[in-house]
Amino acid sequence: MRVLIIDPDEARAALVAEGLAGVRPLAVRRAAALEGVEAELSAFAPDVVVIACDSPERDTLESLREATDSNPRPIVMFVDRSAPGLERAAVEAGVAAYVVDGLSPGRVRPILEVAMSRFELMQKLRADLDRARADLASRKTVERAKGLLMKERGLDEDAAYRLLRKLAMDSGRPLAAVAADLIAFADVLRGKGT
Amino acid sequence: MSGIEQADLRLGFIPLVDCAPLAAAAELGLFAAEGLQVSLSREPSWANIRDKLQAGLVDAAHMLGPMALAAAAGVGGPAAPVVAPLALNSGGSAVAVSMSLAAGLGEADPRALSDPMAAARALGAVAARRRARGGPPLTFAAVFPFSMHAYELRWWMAEGGVDPDRDVRLVFTPPPRMAARLRSGEVDGFCAGAPWGEVAAAQGSGVVLFRGGELWPTGPDKVLGVLRAWAEARPRTLQALLRALIRAQLWADAPENRAALARLLARPDYVGAPASVIGEALERSGVSFHRAAAGFPWISQGAWFAAQMARWGQLPAGADAQALARAVCRPGLFRSAAAAVGASAPVRDSKPEGAHASAWSLAGTLGDLPMPADRMFDGRVFDPGQAAAYLDGFAIRRLAAPRPA
Repeated sequence: MRVLIIDPDEARAALVAEGLAGVRPLAVRRAAALEGVEAELSAFAPDVVVIACDSPERDTLESLREATDSNPRPIVMFVDRSAPGLERAAVEAGVAAYVVDGLSPGRVRPILEVAMSRFELMQKLRADLDRARADLASRKTVERAKGLLMKERGLDEDAAYRLLRKLAMDSGRPLAAVAADLIAFADVLRGKGT
Repeated sequence: MSGIEQADLRLGFIPLVDCAPLAAAAELGLFAAEGLQVSLSREPSWANIRDKLQAGLVDAAHMLGPMALAAAAGVGGPAAPVVAPLALNSGGSAVAVSMSLAAGLGEADPRALSDPMAAARALGAVAARRRARGGPPLTFAAVFPFSMHAYELRWWMAEGGVDPDRDVRLVFTPPPRMAARLRSGEVDGFCAGAPWGEVAAAQGSGVVLFRGGELWPTGPDKVLGVLRAWAEARPRTLQALLRALIRAQLWADAPENRAALARLLARPDYVGAPASVIGEALERSGVSFHRAAAGFPWISQGAWFAAQMARWGQLPAGADAQALARAVCRPGLFRSAAAAVGASAPVRDSKPEGAHASAWSLAGTLGDLPMPADRMFDGRVFDPGQAAAYLDGFAIRRLAAPRPA
């Protein structure tokens, strides 16, 4: 089986390719884009094309369903009627598969499933990264607010932290939000904010 | 609002001027006025629109009219009963060509730059010269195999004796990438909805050769597509959605609102092109949203699309164009919603297409509708009940085998 992965997201495409390495026998090629579709397709002659739904080139692939001289192997969208829910799950994961007309669903499904699971893994990794960045940002905000209280109120670090925590508990809001408000108010009082 | 079966809706769209009814209804609070909370989802491809609609990840979508028919007929992708209770616009497409092709066409015939029929014949001359020199075929891009734009390109070329499948190369690219592909020389010309022809011209990568309205004034284009089962289970939701969109279409057509519409569409979450270019496209492309029954889902225009699908081998020979159009286009749903917002709607479901050489008047539910001339550039008239005879009049066509029993 020859699989072409088209994904503008290089890291994600690498993750899919790595996942497919477990499915044998398989030749995998990756492309960020499919400019000059026919050339690429006739050179590599994939049996399966896995494409990210956020790639604008899906519409280009859609048009390759007619066999022509330059495109002797018509490509059709992979729809597996024997696996209800698979198509919806694939669209939700953001991945579509196109196959050479006539390929059996049983051979294609494991490839699509690997691609779907890797797309979902990538999404989770990115979400984790965003959360970690947000955590770091909120920790920095709390540090700044603490510093402000230490300077303006002459508190030591522990007392500043306790005061922040009390403000948060009294108002029922997260510590970072209270800290951010404090910094914003201080900026306004100093004439820095608007 | 009472009685609405589903208030939270997700609508998919492609960045084009004709997403205006969706964008305007959202920004003017017309959805909210109907008790609907609508979120709009900007999609990168028509294939995504189709798949998300079929998977239920969007409730309704901005669709190419022929896409809805293809889905209903199960060609080009999985079959899904899609219905179109509203047309989103008429007109707006443009054929743009590279500077060098424009020069070649002008050399072959100076009228090519102002007359589509002369341009088609000039294209035949340019293509033949290229072939004689042994050069690669001219490449044209349309937005999707099932689109008004693909049919406009094919129809236009074939009138000039150019076979779109043999004499040129036809490729497909989503609208926002057209200008870049023309600039890079990957394609020699394209047909896409506004503002992408104007964007190519503004960037200096090509010229607008002619507009869709020069082939067929009042010709159809995009529709609002929903799954039939979804529509049948949510009749009140659908009517509320249609009322909001028809009000948005009335607003978008008014000349005094066009500047505001251009600024709105220019935003990156809608079309993402300069407001000045979009303003020019609105003014010059001939796009209309409600005027001249542009929002009405004519059975006869659906049948014309089905006839194009048959002409180019996308439907099995002998497929009933009118029956397919009836399965998809739902004029009755439009009429109910139009009546509720005080807009007149055509009384008939079908009309002969292209029969009027001058302005005429159409019988409407709440008063007659003024209609412009609608004569097509080849002078043919399409009678939806006589699709097969209409197709017999074309020398260049690609008939598929009849569907096996």
